[in-house]
Amino acid sequence: MDIIEVIKTGMGASIQDLGRPGWKRFGVPPSGAMDRHSAIWANRLVGNPDEFPVIELLMQGAEFRMLATRRVAVTGAEAGAEIPTWHARLLRAGERLAFPHNRKGLWTYVAVQGGFHVPLVLGSASAYPRGGIGSILHAGEKIADGDGEELSQVAESWTSLGEQRDFDQPPLLRVWRGPQWDCFDAAEWRCFLEVEWEVSSRSDRVGYRLEGARMNPPMCEMCSEPQVTGSIQVPPNGQPIVTMRDGPTVGGYPKIGIVDPESLSWLAQCRPGVKFRWIEAV
Amino acid sequence: MRWTPCGPQAVLIQLEEPLGSALLARMRAISHLLETEQPEEIVDFTVAFDKLLLEFRAGEDIPVQAELWTHWFAALAPIIADAARLHEIPVVYDGLDLAEVAERGGMSLAEVIELHTAPIYEVASLGFAPGFPYLIGLNPRLYTPRRADPRPRVPVGSVAIGGSHTGIYSIESPGGWNLLGSTEVQMFDPARCEPDESAMFLLRPGDRVKFLPVG
Repeated sequence: MDIIEVIKTGMGASIQDLGRPGWKRFGVPPSGAMDRHSAIWANRLVGNPDEFPVIELLMQGAEFRMLATRRVAVTGAEAGAEIPTWHARLLRAGERLAFPHNRKGLWTYVAVQGGFHVPLVLGSASAYPRGGIGSILHAGEKIADGDGEELSQVAESWTSLGEQRDFDQPPLLRVWRGPQWDCFDAAEWRCFLEVEWEVSSRSDRVGYRLEGARMNPPMCEMCSEPQVTGSIQVPPNGQPIVTMRDGPTVGGYPKIGIVDPESLSWLAQCRPGVKFRWIEAV
Repeated sequence: MRWTPCGPQAVLIQLEEPLGSALLARMRAISHLLETEQPEEIVDFTVAFDKLLLEFRAGEDIPVQAELWTHWFAALAPIIADAARLHEIPVVYDGLDLAEVAERGGMSLAEVIELHTAPIYEVASLGFAPGFPYLIGLNPRLYTPRRADPRPRVPVGSVAIGGSHTGIYSIESPGGWNLLGSTEVQMFDPARCEPDESAMFLLRPGDRVKFLPVG
């Protein structure tokens, strides 16, 4: 049964879950929710398991209409929806859910009790449109319900304050030394840790470019090598780029650092203009 | 074998052997082991040339795991590739960078095509994009560095050279390799699901590739 209709997609809308690990040796990136913390909390608020598919929205402009009465949760970026962020409410068939103004963060998550019925490709419902796996959502599209409706008994109606996040005030983001860390001059690493950074507007689900300082890339010759999501590469132009969830499985530039998996969800929500700093993880 | 941690949950293992068939046979043995055993502590693994990335589930002791697996890998007998898996790929040599590659090497266009179609290449690994093959066996006269200004969009099916490798773009993507031509053979097709989902990927490490000039 169809439970929700896409009226407008705004700046971008897709279905994501926690990704498709296990296929990187074929060149397939993990994909999945850019901010896993928020996606997981959206599911918890409607009583779904953490890994159920959710709708991921970029910034603003999306609008939906309920085709059935369901409990709905909104988490992540604040975009002025009728349901306050980090809360769940019962929406009746015919009610609309709009995200008109982005105020904080970049990615908003919408979970519906029972989940969505989305075909799995390589074990995941996550859209990876560049690779022709799944697609972004389109206006007029209707999404059917999943089979988890009976799971919705125990949900809280709001996320505890300790788990809510203010994306305008990121904490120190944890960064590990990257595999080519020792190719960089020691002063480069100090600079990387001391400077205030922000995410460039030329960023997407593939990679986040960082602005703050020009790094001096080392002169080390390297072959493309496998990389983890969150790798911080320094290309010849000196502007660091973080490999995000749809990013390539291999990278050919020296990696000065690796974003800690927990901090990667925070980084994903840093809008251009929001300053943050790194702290070395050990 | 040498290993380096990659963040809190992964380790990058280097085989320390020159790139060639012997190295690829060792890497194939490692992949085969991981594919058949599917150890639950390893969530994903990625291979590229002489390096292997193991990603562990949260909470595993990385140095202990790295030592354990590298010892096991070192004891494996290499797996020689099945020479029967030869793919003949028809290519129209009309790429945007064909002339530049020819000029750089002081060759005619015909010579470039001849040198590129002569070898039987071996798939070293898949990566960068779904099903994108890194092929080894390129004639050194064709070695061409990646372009300083990568193109924002390279069409799917582009046959290209990047450094000492040649490859085939499996999806439309940004790319810095030098474009020699194009093929209609799909390296990656999400609609190919029989007998199982791995059929989406045409090539496997160890497969051989021969380019046939057409048009």
